[in-house]
Amino acid sequence: MDRRRFLKTGVSISAASLFPASLLTPEALAAVPESFPKPMTPTLDGDVKEFQISVDIHQQEIVPGFKFHTLAFNNRIPGPEIRVTRGDKIRVVFKNETELNHTIHWHGMYVPWRMDGVPYVTQMPVMPGKTFVYEFVAEPYGTHFYHCHWGTLLHMQAGMYGSFIIEDPDDPIRKQFNYEREYTLIYSAHDVNFIRKELNTMLDRMKERMYLMKQGRFDKERFATFDTKDELVEAVENGYQPPYAINRRSPSELPQPNWFTVNGKSYPMTPNLLIKQGENIRVRLINAGTEEHFLHLHGHDFWLVCDDGVPVPQPWQMNTVRLSPGKTIDIMIEGKNRGIWTFHDHDTRRVTNNGLYPGGNLLALVYEDTPPEEMELNPMAKKMGLNNLPIVALDE
Amino acid sequence: MLKYFILVSIIPVLVVGAAGQVVAEVAPEIQLGARGVMSLNTDIINDQVTNAVSDYSDTDLMVGFRQKMYNRFRGQLVIGFQFPDAESDLGQVFFHQTFIKIEDQFNILKMGRSRVKTTLFDFPTLRDDDALLLTTVLNPFSDGQNSEDHQYGNVLEYTHLFGQRYQLQFHAEHFRKVPEIPGAAETDFGLNALGFVLQYRVPETQRWNRSLIQSVSIGSNNFVTNRQGFSSEYDQALKNFLFGFVVNLKPDPVHFWDLRSQTIYNTGFAELRGIEKFSDLARAEAIGNYTSIRYLYRKMERPTLQVALSGGYKNFPNTIQPTELFQVASNLFYRIGQNFDVGLQVQYKGFSGDLKRMYGDDMMRIQFSLIYSIDQSWNNQFDDRESLLNLEHGYIP
Repeated sequence: MDRRRFLKTGVSISAASLFPASLLTPEALAAVPESFPKPMTPTLDGDVKEFQISVDIHQQEIVPGFKFHTLAFNNRIPGPEIRVTRGDKIRVVFKNETELNHTIHWHGMYVPWRMDGVPYVTQMPVMPGKTFVYEFVAEPYGTHFYHCHWGTLLHMQAGMYGSFIIEDPDDPIRKQFNYEREYTLIYSAHDVNFIRKELNTMLDRMKERMYLMKQGRFDKERFATFDTKDELVEAVENGYQPPYAINRRSPSELPQPNWFTVNGKSYPMTPNLLIKQGENIRVRLINAGTEEHFLHLHGHDFWLVCDDGVPVPQPWQMNTVRLSPGKTIDIMIEGKNRGIWTFHDHDTRRVTNNGLYPGGNLLALVYEDTPPEEMELNPMAKKMGLNNLPIVALDE
Repeated sequence: MLKYFILVSIIPVLVVGAAGQVVAEVAPEIQLGARGVMSLNTDIINDQVTNAVSDYSDTDLMVGFRQKMYNRFRGQLVIGFQFPDAESDLGQVFFHQTFIKIEDQFNILKMGRSRVKTTLFDFPTLRDDDALLLTTVLNPFSDGQNSEDHQYGNVLEYTHLFGQRYQLQFHAEHFRKVPEIPGAAETDFGLNALGFVLQYRVPETQRWNRSLIQSVSIGSNNFVTNRQGFSSEYDQALKNFLFGFVVNLKPDPVHFWDLRSQTIYNTGFAELRGIEKFSDLARAEAIGNYTSIRYLYRKMERPTLQVALSGGYKNFPNTIQPTELFQVASNLFYRIGQNFDVGLQVQYKGFSGDLKRMYGDDMMRIQFSLIYSIDQSWNNQFDDRESLLNLEHGYIP
C-alpha cells in the first residue's frame, strides 16, 4: 500500500479530523486573510506615517455560541496590525473611548522613554475620552507588538494587543528563504470570568472617580497614588490601609484562563495557514497572553529564524517551539509534505474551550494543492452523512 | 401503548441524568448570603423600662444556586432561614426564602416562599420590621404575633422589564392565615392576595449617573377576605395602594444624601369603625406615610458612616374615636470592617385613640447593635442583568 492509498483508508483520521471539510473551497480560501490582523493604512503628514487607534468595549465571539465583553483596539481583536519600514517616522493618535484608563506600550521597540506607555512611570494614563499622541522612529527590524500597559493583567487578556511589524527592504530572512506569503499569529489566554468581574468593578470605580475628578477632588489615598515610596510608607504609618491589605482584600486567586485564542478566536474558528507544495511561508508568532505555549507542527520540521524580532545567527531546525509570554518568534515552514497538518500547543490544556478538548489554539497548515480524492472518507463515515476530511469535531 | 413506552423509557433517563451519573454536570454558581444582627435593647413603654440582653432577630442565612438554561433564560434556587422574634409563634427558625426564579433579559418569573411586595423599597432601619406599621401593607389574616406574616409569603410573581428602568410586576400570594381556632394548623394554602407594582428605577450600578431620581413606584395589594355581608370578591377584597419615591439629594460619592418616602392608603372596610384587635388594624381605612433622609459617608470607595432620620404618621379616618400613630427614628451605623457595622438606633412611637388600648400611649426603644453581613458567590459563570457591562455595552444572555 503506497502512502497516498494509506491515507485514503482513513486510518489516520485523528490528527486531521478536527478541521472543516470546506477548507479548500474558493470561499474558504478567500476568507483566510480575514482571520489574520489587517495592516492599517497610515495617512502621511510630510514624512510621518500617522495611525489612528482607539479603544472601546466590545463583544467578542470567540467561537459560535460563546461571546463575552472585552476591550478592543479599533473594535477588533487583535487590534489592527501596524506594518512599517525600518526608520519610518511614526505617529499614533490614541483615543480612549472607554470609561477606563489606558496607555499603549510598544513592546520590543526602541522608542523614546516618554513614549513607552507605562502609566505613572513614563506618562500619566490616558483618561476616559482623552487622546494621547505617541511619536517615535520605527526601530528595530522585526516582529513586535503593542499592548495596553494600564491594569495590564486585565487589559491584555481583555484583547488590548496588536502586531507591530517593522520591515527591512533588505530583509535577511527573505534573502535566505525566498518567501512570498507570511502570516501573523497572536496567542492569548483569557479567564473570561476574571475579565467580566474586573471590568465591571473597574467601570463602577471609574464612574465614581471621574465624578470626583471633574470636581477637582483628587485624593492620593483614595486613588492609591503617591509621589514617592516614602510617602506611601508614611501614609501607612499614619493609618492608611492600602488596597492589598488583608482587611481590604482577602487573598484572591490569580486568573485561571479557560479560553485560549489565536488572533482572537479559538478552535474551530482559528485561522489556518495556507501553503503549496514547494513554497516557503513565514509565520510570525506573538505571545500576548499570560500562558506559555509549546507549538508543535505535524509532519514537518520548521526553521526558527527570529527571536524577539532579532534574526538568529543560525536558523534552528525543530518541530516544537516554546513561546513564552511577551516573546515573538518567527519561523519558516517549507512546503514539503502535502496534506492538512495540525499546528497546536502541545501543552494540551491550552487546546480546550472552557475545559473541553478540542478547542483553544488548535489550527492547521493547509496545502492548497491537496487533491480532493485524498480527503475521501470510508463508507461508515459517509453513512453518517459526512462529506470528506477534514471534519469539525467538538466532542472528540 | 406508545405513550406508555415513552413514559417508561424517558423517566429513568431523566432520573439518571438528574443524578449526574450519565451526563456531564453543569456546575451552578453558588451564592451565600448571611446577616447577623445582634442588639442590646432598652424599651421604655408607658414609663416602664425593660432590657433585652441580646436580640438576634432578623439574623438570617441564605444559599443560592444559579445557572444558565439551555435557552436564553437563567434559573436560580434560593433557600434561606432566619431567626424570628422571640415572642412570635413561628418557632426557633423560620424558612423565609425558598423559591425558584427563572429570568431572561426582560422577564422574571418567581415562585415559592419569599419576600412579598408589601413595601416598595427598604428604609434605613436597624431591622426590617422596625417601622412595620408604617412601611408595610399589613396582612389582614395575621394576628399580629410576628412581623414575618407581613413580610413573607408564598408568592407567584411575574415581572416584565421595559428597557432597563421601567418594570411592571404582577404578584399573587398566599399570606399566612392564622386559623380562627387557636392552635389549629393552617390547611388552606390557596392564593389570597394579588397586586401589581409599576416602577421606574435607576439600577444600583448607575447611581452616580443620576442627579435626582432613583426610583418612583406605584403599587397595589389586594387581599381576598371573608368580609361578612358581601358576596362579590371585589367587595370582599381589602385594597391597599402604595406610592413611593427615592431621590438623590446629593449624589456625591463621598458625601451622599438621599431621601425616600412611601405613602400607603388602605381603603379599609367601611363598617369597621373601631380597632380592637390586630386584624382590625390591618382592615380599617388608613393612610400612612414614612419618610427617611439618609447621609452616607464613603471613605476609600467604601461605606464608612451612615446616619438616618426617619419619621412616619398614620391616620385612621373612619374610626369613631380619632386614632393615629406616629413614629420617629434615628440611627447611626459605623463600619469597623468590611461588612461589619456598629449601630445605635433610637426610636419613639406614639399612639392615640383605639391604638392606645393595643400599644399604650407611647414607647421608646434604644438599641446598640453589632451587624455583620456577607454576600459572596463562587463559580461565577455569567453576568448579572444590571451589571454595567450588560446595561451599557450590550446584554449577553
